[in-house]
Amino acid sequence: MSPSRLALVPGVPALLPSYASIDDPVADLRAACLTAAGSLGPRVRVVAPHDLGRRVARQLLAEVGAEESTDDPTGTLVVGNGSAKRTLKAPGHFDERAEVFDDDLRRALLEPIPGALTGFDERLAEELWADLAGIRALADLLTPAHRAEVGYDDAPYGVQYWVVCWSA
Amino acid sequence: MTLQLGRHPFADDATLMMAIVNRTPDSFYDQGATWAEDAAFDRVAAVVAQGAEIVDIGGIKAAPGEEISAAEEKGRVVDFVARVRAAYPSLVISVDTWRAEVGAAVCEAGADLLNDAWGGADPELVDVAAEHGVAIVCTHTGGATPRTRPFRVEYDDVVAAAIDDTVRYAERALAAGVARESIVIDPAHDFGKNTFHSLEVTRRLGEMVDTGWPVLVSLSNKDFVGETLDLPVGERLVGTLAATAVCAQAGARIYRVHEVVETRQVVDMVWSIAGRRPPRRAIRGLA
Repeated sequence: MSPSRLALVPGVPALLPSYASIDDPVADLRAACLTAAGSLGPRVRVVAPHDLGRRVARQLLAEVGAEESTDDPTGTLVVGNGSAKRTLKAPGHFDERAEVFDDDLRRALLEPIPGALTGFDERLAEELWADLAGIRALADLLTPAHRAEVGYDDAPYGVQYWVVCWSA
Repeated sequence: MTLQLGRHPFADDATLMMAIVNRTPDSFYDQGATWAEDAAFDRVAAVVAQGAEIVDIGGIKAAPGEEISAAEEKGRVVDFVARVRAAYPSLVISVDTWRAEVGAAVCEAGADLLNDAWGGADPELVDVAAEHGVAIVCTHTGGATPRTRPFRVEYDDVVAAAIDDTVRYAERALAAGVARESIVIDPAHDFGKNTFHSLEVTRRLGEMVDTGWPVLVSLSNKDFVGETLDLPVGERLVGTLAATAVCAQAGARIYRVHEVVETRQVVDMVWSIAGRRPPRRAIRGLA
């Protein structure tokens, strides 16, 4: 059985202490991520497709006093984000397909439409530098009965971030 | 080491800009530009706006010149210290003096720090610092008499001499009752030193830092910079900043300066390169 509490955060390296600045460039995002991580209970399953995302997830959980666990988890934390080509100064430069891609992804996440999450063109996602592997796993965890609460929805550095909590 | 400068505490890893404010008609760099009290007060406002944590108010130029009595020195600095104290409660006020009598008067007026550029020439200055609970800068001059230039000074090892003298002075201050965290040492570039000595002190500043006492450096536009680059006063900023970078890498904590903004940038940059300070705001590659 999937635990009922679910959250999505982006795998942003600037959230890690080893990359901390004096003035936090992602202060609002960080606050939203911590709120989301804190809503998942004490034992949290992490769904992150890569080491960096896993480190971000573990850091967030540590900061809210939760621990990563696959044994009778109280919640699931998924790591992923939309495209990284939203503006000329985005990490992947501007791609005119990015905004539409992110709009479709947003709709699938927030309605939610679990079936649509596996339907995204993998090649396009790769071309747009979107981090979708973890998000695809949400297709098996979300049901249309879930209700999304958006903690963050912006692309401040040309990368589309969402922080979302779902409750059944 | 944690610093306590009078009423103001600073964290272990903080670097501090000490801006020079001359109440003199004849200092080498500004040639009397802030001799008038209002001009000096404007200079304080400017350096505070630039981010200086400390102002170092001096009433007598370091170089030889007209004899200035203690009474005249007090006339130049005491009321001015009181005025700055009233206007800037959170600013560290340092006074550049070697005279205990002047030191006592400025402490009464609100000074936090006595910057004795002449290496304890007046033995009672440490007692004044202890009595008023202020900090003190212990400099090395090689025993030079105040307001004299070095002439054929030789050292077996100038850095060893600077360490011996400043640490001895620091321990004397400690014994007199000055708080350990309120004692700073300064190799005093150009004081009792030729250019080769000042360059060597710069090159080996890390040995002074290793004593554990917080180190102040006063490099700004000095003759060792001018002679090294053959440049007159007014064209020594780049050389000053190069020396500043080397001292920052070694771990100097306080920088006595004419140019606050430029020095702050150099020290912050070097401090970050050394891994002692995070970047101000890093997102490149991390979004």
